[in-house]
Amino acid sequence: MTNRLLTVAFLAGLAVIFIQLLSGYAPDTDLNLTASYYANQTAPDLGAQNIVTGIIVTYRGLDTLGEVTVLFLTAAIVALVLVHGRALEAERGPKPFPAGELLQTGSRLLAPMILLLGIYVFVNGHLTPGGGFQGGAIVASAVLLLLLTDPMRRFSHRLISRIESTAGLLFVAIGLLGLLFAGGFLDARFLPQGWFGALFSAGAIPLIYSLIGLKVGAEFSSMLLSLSETEDEK
Amino acid sequence: MSLVTLAMAGGFALILIGLYGALNNRNILRIIIAFTLANTGVHLVLVAVGYMPGRTAPILDAAVPVDQANALIIDPVPQALVLTAIVIGLGVTALMLAYALRLFASRHTLDISKFTELKW
Amino acid sequence: MVMPNIILIIATGLGAAFLLGLLREEKRLSAYLITLAALAFMSLISGLWLIAFAGGAAPIEVTTAGTPAPFAINFKMGLAEAALLLLINLTALLSAIYMQQTMLRLGRRIMAVFLIAVMAVSGIILTRDVFNLFVFLELVVIASGGLVLMSTDKRALGAGFKYLMVSEFITVFLLIGIIFAYHASGSLNIDTMAASDMLAKQGGALAFFLILIALIAELKPFPANGWALDIYESAHPGFSALFSAVFATGALFAVDKVLLMGGTTWLPLATGIGLLTFVASNIMGLAQHNDRRLLGYSSIAQVGLVLAIIGQREVLGDSYLFVAGGILLAHAVAKAGLFWMSGMFEARDLKDWTVLRQKPLMVGIFITFIAMLTGLPPFPGFYAKWELVHGLIAHNQFWLVAVILFGALIEVTYLMRWFGYVIKRDAPRYTEDTPFHKELVVVLAAAAGWVLAYVWGELSAYRNLLSLAEGNLLVVLPLMFALLFFMIDGLPARIKNIIAIAGMVAYFIASYSSYDPLQLIFGSIILLGGAVIMLASFHAEGRRTGFYPSAMLMYAGLALLIIAENSFAFFAAWEMLTIGSYFLILRGKASEPHALSYIIFSLGGAFAILTGFALAAHGQAPFEIASLADVREDVAPYVFILLAVGFMTKTAAIGLHIWLPGAHAEAETDVSPMVSGVLLKAGLFGLFTLLMTMGRQHLGPVDLTLVLLWIGALTALLGNLMAAFQEDAKRLLAYSSIGQMGYALFGLALMNKLGWLMALLFVINHYIYKSMLFLSVGGVAKRTGTRAMYKMGGLIALMPLSFIAVMIGIIAMSGVPPLSGYGGRWVFYNAIMSAEHRLPMILIFLSGPIGFLYLFRLVHTIFLGQLKDEHRRLKEAPFWIILPQMIYVLFLLGFAVVPGLALRRVDAYLTRFFPNEFGLDWTGPAITSEYGYWAPVSIMIVIGVIFCLVLGWMLFLNRNAQKVKQFNIVYSAERPYRPETTHYAWNFYAPYRKALGFMVQPFVTNFWNGIATALHNLGDFSRRLYTGNGQTYAFQMLIFVVMAYLVSRGMI
Repeated sequence: MTNRLLTVAFLAGLAVIFIQLLSGYAPDTDLNLTASYYANQTAPDLGAQNIVTGIIVTYRGLDTLGEVTVLFLTAAIVALVLVHGRALEAERGPKPFPAGELLQTGSRLLAPMILLLGIYVFVNGHLTPGGGFQGGAIVASAVLLLLLTDPMRRFSHRLISRIESTAGLLFVAIGLLGLLFAGGFLDARFLPQGWFGALFSAGAIPLIYSLIGLKVGAEFSSMLLSLSETEDEK
Repeated sequence: MSLVTLAMAGGFALILIGLYGALNNRNILRIIIAFTLANTGVHLVLVAVGYMPGRTAPILDAAVPVDQANALIIDPVPQALVLTAIVIGLGVTALMLAYALRLFASRHTLDISKFTELKW
Repeated sequence: MVMPNIILIIATGLGAAFLLGLLREEKRLSAYLITLAALAFMSLISGLWLIAFAGGAAPIEVTTAGTPAPFAINFKMGLAEAALLLLINLTALLSAIYMQQTMLRLGRRIMAVFLIAVMAVSGIILTRDVFNLFVFLELVVIASGGLVLMSTDKRALGAGFKYLMVSEFITVFLLIGIIFAYHASGSLNIDTMAASDMLAKQGGALAFFLILIALIAELKPFPANGWALDIYESAHPGFSALFSAVFATGALFAVDKVLLMGGTTWLPLATGIGLLTFVASNIMGLAQHNDRRLLGYSSIAQVGLVLAIIGQREVLGDSYLFVAGGILLAHAVAKAGLFWMSGMFEARDLKDWTVLRQKPLMVGIFITFIAMLTGLPPFPGFYAKWELVHGLIAHNQFWLVAVILFGALIEVTYLMRWFGYVIKRDAPRYTEDTPFHKELVVVLAAAAGWVLAYVWGELSAYRNLLSLAEGNLLVVLPLMFALLFFMIDGLPARIKNIIAIAGMVAYFIASYSSYDPLQLIFGSIILLGGAVIMLASFHAEGRRTGFYPSAMLMYAGLALLIIAENSFAFFAAWEMLTIGSYFLILRGKASEPHALSYIIFSLGGAFAILTGFALAAHGQAPFEIASLADVREDVAPYVFILLAVGFMTKTAAIGLHIWLPGAHAEAETDVSPMVSGVLLKAGLFGLFTLLMTMGRQHLGPVDLTLVLLWIGALTALLGNLMAAFQEDAKRLLAYSSIGQMGYALFGLALMNKLGWLMALLFVINHYIYKSMLFLSVGGVAKRTGTRAMYKMGGLIALMPLSFIAVMIGIIAMSGVPPLSGYGGRWVFYNAIMSAEHRLPMILIFLSGPIGFLYLFRLVHTIFLGQLKDEHRRLKEAPFWIILPQMIYVLFLLGFAVVPGLALRRVDAYLTRFFPNEFGLDWTGPAITSEYGYWAPVSIMIVIGVIFCLVLGWMLFLNRNAQKVKQFNIVYSAERPYRPETTHYAWNFYAPYRKALGFMVQPFVTNFWNGIATALHNLGDFSRRLYTGNGQTYAFQMLIFVVMAYLVSRGMI
């Protein structure tokens, strides 16, 4: 009980900080230095319609590379941890009850469409809301659906990890191409800008975002698989 | 109370609730969920800071001509940041879940106060 | 030359990690080789840049996305960044080599995680974007979460989870801080934010506070650091090396960068948190027994220290990078090295490190690391310590210096205690087979430590202790000569002894002409006197591993001390002789606790000297020793006190003496005379120098020389008194040294010419008779196997030469005619007559007869009386131990006849300081003073004649005496509870003890013990803060942040 009171007391201290931040906050009326640069320059510089995408893929491309790496890292560690776990837990539980015909057929029908939607979202990331992460998550949701309907289903870890690694390597390689043929690391302008608003425009941005989409999809799938397989072993 | 303040206050409240939960629940899974709650609060605050009343999304389509973008769109930077923050939060959550599985496997309990063999 | 783009460091790390994903799970060796190659390449790039910057290249800025900063993320790199990158990547490479087996066992995934972690720390160093910093930081956190699992220790799992919990808290603070800072400044670029008016805006300062505190939290500040300790204790040592050396370095640099945004307002917060962490962690370290956890406490403490230094950035000015870098790099290399070493064996108690003794090389490396951590010369921490204290004192940060030095002393305590365990505790029975690659990594780390030592010497504004290139050969050679003995330690002891003696004598001959009379006296004692004592070392057989490097280090320090021209050279020499003598003392059989208290007192004294020098420097370091005379009046008394206290720890003045008896008594037979006869002179030399330059000082109404006078008198009295009550012959001699040093101090503090002359006479005499007595008593102890006097007796017939030596030594020491001790007394009484302080003089007079008591006991109980049955077959002490004693006997006789030989020149020299005082008249066979004359030759003749007459008379009386065989005395069928109490020599002076015992109650010992116990208990109590519960740790993080907020409200 005293513990609870204490935590409440100190969280109240934190709340004081938050209240100060909140009371001192007034929304900007004009875009600040950085934001207005992006508002003005994204179109002429990068040729991307979606400014957020422009920021994510080029201006703050290094962050995004880091982000992708976070997922890669997590997928690797989760696999590592759970491989370990599987070695520990040798005994097998009873097999789960198979899903019904309806569920199985339905999911088989839906999965390709979800996949397609995911690809659409990341390919058009520089034009419309969405992008590699969102698309990748959608792609992985197809895998999740398949796993939910048939928990004993096995996917090729090898294929997934290949997709994941190749996409990552290509991302780094494209970054280096920017260093060689354009203004710097992750500069997408070594490919032509194309027609503003078209699918093939904005230099290498769609390419990068597609790679991110593939990578994210693969990583999420890999994590889901690792978790689900450990579950099976119980 | 404006929309922004509301969102921001909500975000802060979520953070506090999340942290309270993380400090007072002994079950590791509950702790993880509490942290995701706090993370969501952080993300809410993040996007709220970028919001500017009366403006639109930073996408240069028919609604926002390129030359007027500066006056029409909201700040795109926090949106980019929040994406990164979400992904990172997700990574940490996944990692914690994996840990939880292993911890359970080693002791057959999820009570955080049972994992104190290292101390002092 | 075309330099590789620094982005390549990031790209290589990432690319290689992704590439590993393409390999088949089974191709572990290829994966491992790719990992090594990537790390080597990253190190290479860093190295190339470091060379370029060291050559004077301007710092570079690298933009990404072809867009200028602040609109895209940019990197900056200069000298500091390049140095840290090299440290990070090389450490990682070595750690990867070290963890070969683990990595091959766990496969490509763990290698990818490892690579990403290293890449991310490099990113932390390079990036100038605060959100990018966050991303890299999170990468490190997550990667750590994975790498912790490399450990085979099951508990690591819990530790990793606690770490993740705490990082969730940090993430919340950091993100909220970043977004509001962005809102306030309109940028995420650190430099742009620093230039903006962010802090002036409402919320801006608070946002900055959150960023700063979140980054500081990554440094494991007290008390929010339990999670880190758990990781240190349970993780794979290869990872802990990385965690301590690399990750902490990255986080420190991040704090350094971010503090740019806050200007100077926030620096005190950093200093405060840093200091608190430094001191608290060190105190808690005192109570640790687990090696890795101890290393964890020490890591946290060191990082806290660097944080405190970062907070003093403005104060330190130009030397900031030199100081912070020196401490940080030394810490990183040493800590990584120690963690790697800890993986060479299974047992986890500090005492289990005795296994190192099976490999002398490993012991040497262990010393290297400990010396690096404690900031001993010639390592970077030494230069940094010097520079830090000078910088802080120049800006009147006295409290800061006091706290830092206090914390440092505690750290020294537990590190040196550990070293004592390694050297002295029982070696384990099992043998550990360490794979070659692990040893290689450790050796490379130690080598890196020496390279750093050289580099820091070059970078410093002072003499590089390791450089051969600079200046006078006589200054360079001693340390090189000592280091040479590290290389040739494998040779037989006798050969090394010849080299050592030859070296010392040759060095004396070479420097003879450049000495002034004072230096000549001390130089002769140190080098020639030292060489004579070394003759006794010929008796040792085998290799005597470790003896010669230590002894030569001590002699090198002593030789350098007397020729030191400036404060830096003096201090460096002082530390060298301290370490050398510590190693020497530690060699004794039961000397572990005494060596520890010796090194603590000595380094404490050294800190006092350092602070004194810094105070005297007025920002002009180093200064000529002679210019101590020109110290500003307002600080002069404090300088005087600090230096005097520092020197008096070496001469063991009363109150600071408790280390001496054990240290001198427990030392080896030939080491006791070295540390007593020679080493104590270092303190006297310091006091001479101090009084010669600074003269009389007053603190308010108090005459400080008068205080010294009193200390001298009390030391003489109590030292002698304590000596009289000892049962152990060597302890008796040791206490007697305390008393003798008291005399010398008294003489010096008289501040007149005769007093100084007397002190110099004591310098010479004490060397001779104390070396002689320690050798003869040591020889006796060697033969009888005991040092307790009541267990001996009647040895005169069996060990006649030892007896003669003791007899002569006692005559000389007690100041009865005809030997030189009498001359000393004579000068002494003359000196007293010309001074005005009567009360301390009475004490000094009193201590004379007491001195005679213990000397009488020495000769009486050992050599006279009844021979013990078990000693019937004893032989004379070994030849090599007798030889120097006989040399001393001859010398004492010679010195007694012609004392003027040495003293005349000194007298003339001292006239310089007391031009108006009447000295001694040296013309003719007699020496004349105001009050009388001393005719050594006539005295000798008179005494000789009287002695012969009495002897002849006794022989005549005893001509009919009958020889009786001794027989064993039987107690009347009763065996006493403590048999020794029935011996007449036990508690020899019981009546005196009854009368005067109250004066020798161990007040001082109890006082210091009390402090030690209190600190230990405090540490043991406060570490219970770390309950091991992840929630508690997370809560402590919350408390830390809220408290820091409350403390810094004034700034927000």
